[in-house]
Amino acid sequence: MTGARVLRGVAGAAGLVAVGELLIRFVMSDDVIFPAPSTILYEAALLLVDTEFLTGLGTTLTNWALGLLIAIGIAVPLGVLLGALPPVERAIRPVLEFMRPIPSVAIIPLAILLIPVDGLMKVSVIVYACMWPILINTLYGMHDVDPQAKESLRSFGFGPLAVLVRVSLPSAAPFVATGVRIAAGIALILAVSAELIAGGTAGVGVFVLQAGSGNRMDLMMAATFWAGMFGVFANLALLAGERRLFHWHRMRTGAQQS
Amino acid sequence: MTPKLRRTAVALGVAVALAVTGCSGSDSTTSASAGANGLEKTTIKVGAIPIPDSVSVYIAINKGYFKQEGLTVEPVVIQGGAAAMPQLMSGALDVTLQNYVSGLVAFSKGQKIKLVAEASQGAPNTFNIMVPKDSPIKTVADLKNKTVAVNTFNNIGTLAVETQLKVAGLTKDDIKYKEVPFPEMGNALTNGVADAGWMVEPFITSTQTNQGFRKLADTMTGQTENFPISGWSVTEEWAKKHPKTLAAFQRAVAKALKDVSTDRKELEKALPTYTKIDAKTASVITPLTYPTELTANRLQKVADLLLEYKYIASAIDVKSIIVPAPPAG
Repeated sequence: MTGARVLRGVAGAAGLVAVGELLIRFVMSDDVIFPAPSTILYEAALLLVDTEFLTGLGTTLTNWALGLLIAIGIAVPLGVLLGALPPVERAIRPVLEFMRPIPSVAIIPLAILLIPVDGLMKVSVIVYACMWPILINTLYGMHDVDPQAKESLRSFGFGPLAVLVRVSLPSAAPFVATGVRIAAGIALILAVSAELIAGGTAGVGVFVLQAGSGNRMDLMMAATFWAGMFGVFANLALLAGERRLFHWHRMRTGAQQS
Repeated sequence: MTPKLRRTAVALGVAVALAVTGCSGSDSTTSASAGANGLEKTTIKVGAIPIPDSVSVYIAINKGYFKQEGLTVEPVVIQGGAAAMPQLMSGALDVTLQNYVSGLVAFSKGQKIKLVAEASQGAPNTFNIMVPKDSPIKTVADLKNKTVAVNTFNNIGTLAVETQLKVAGLTKDDIKYKEVPFPEMGNALTNGVADAGWMVEPFITSTQTNQGFRKLADTMTGQTENFPISGWSVTEEWAKKHPKTLAAFQRAVAKALKDVSTDRKELEKALPTYTKIDAKTASVITPLTYPTELTANRLQKVADLLLEYKYIASAIDVKSIIVPAPPAG
């Protein structure tokens, strides 16, 4: 079952690479210079032994992880608090709805100006961007708590804190996890974008800047390839974690075995 | 352990410096936290674009010229001089590469920056207007009503193009500009996104050899002959607070500039250490000129041209933006 799915996914990717290869080699005009997928994959393989690239990848992924963790640390408690106190949420909601759609990449120049420490600036923009999906999903999760379960606990004499810990939090957790998974992708976008705009001493974005200035489109694409692959792996890992932890949630909501 | 080691090194450095130069330097001996030679700051972050313009700082790093001054330089890759300006202002960078057009325009708008050392100067065929091989455009005059790709609007590229348009009897109102990053310019022109493009190395060489592009005009001729291109800049406040660090930086960069101006091999050796330009490409691209000293005379030409082409509203006396290099020694 899963084996067949993986096979189909690999076949899809291989097909795309093959079509790209053929298009670039035979259809595209010779006067347009673009590295073929085989060239990109070859360079991407070489990058795995390029210490400069690996250092950069390490820096980018550290920022990614740090930003995501801090965002979770801020957004989840905030979401739970707002979810538990509806009047406060109603007061803050318009502000949230205003700030949420602002493209996070647009705040990078502002962050550069305000935060003189390069690493801190990069992590900060990641935190900012990741907060929204986690916060909003946590809020939804808090709204979605079964009122009967809460009432039952209350009628057995449990206090508000016990209701929160025993009913609301477990019930909201799968929503939080979804928010984190969405945020993980956004964090990667911001981690690389911040490097592309602000530069730095090391990073995938910094590597792409260097490759671009040196007219090495193949290296630019190879570095981008690894950024994309990391995104895929992170998503798969988080998805697997969700499946394992919240098996009951999918049964309850009747979600498709996808 | 390391702080102790550093202190010993510092003391040693100060002693050597005093012995060698015989300077009285009352403040350099009193402050224990000051670095060798009494530097106000011994580690500085320098913003550099991974292009041949930045070579002086990397040669100075590779050959230990900064170390000799007691200075540790951490190079930071930046996307461009304009993008690095907020980082310079916030203090994230101590020094940054800046093209003179950006720098002088920013200065005229009230940004308190100082130019402290030369980085590069235009040389023949280092900044060309290029056209695809089948282009019907044969002369600059043919550019009338055409689209010219530049990497950035209102900057050195557009200014250089406009000086050539003037010779052909055109102005910028006769053409359209399109912003295209250098790495994409070759394909953009081939696909007809623009009719001509203002390019730098290594893109001139690569579009010539790989895509058969033709040179329409060398924009480093006429008014822009030997045109100063880029230099190292700091904020006015930084220069005031760190005069000795600044002098040390200037001395080391001047040494590196001297090396690269006398021996092309220095450039070929340094490029692969900080750019993705490999040694083979480095040996065939047209090199910039690397004057060793930033002089008001030459820089004034840039300011005057900016005024003539209305990039700035009022004249700038460039003496007010240059921090002259310390006497050699």
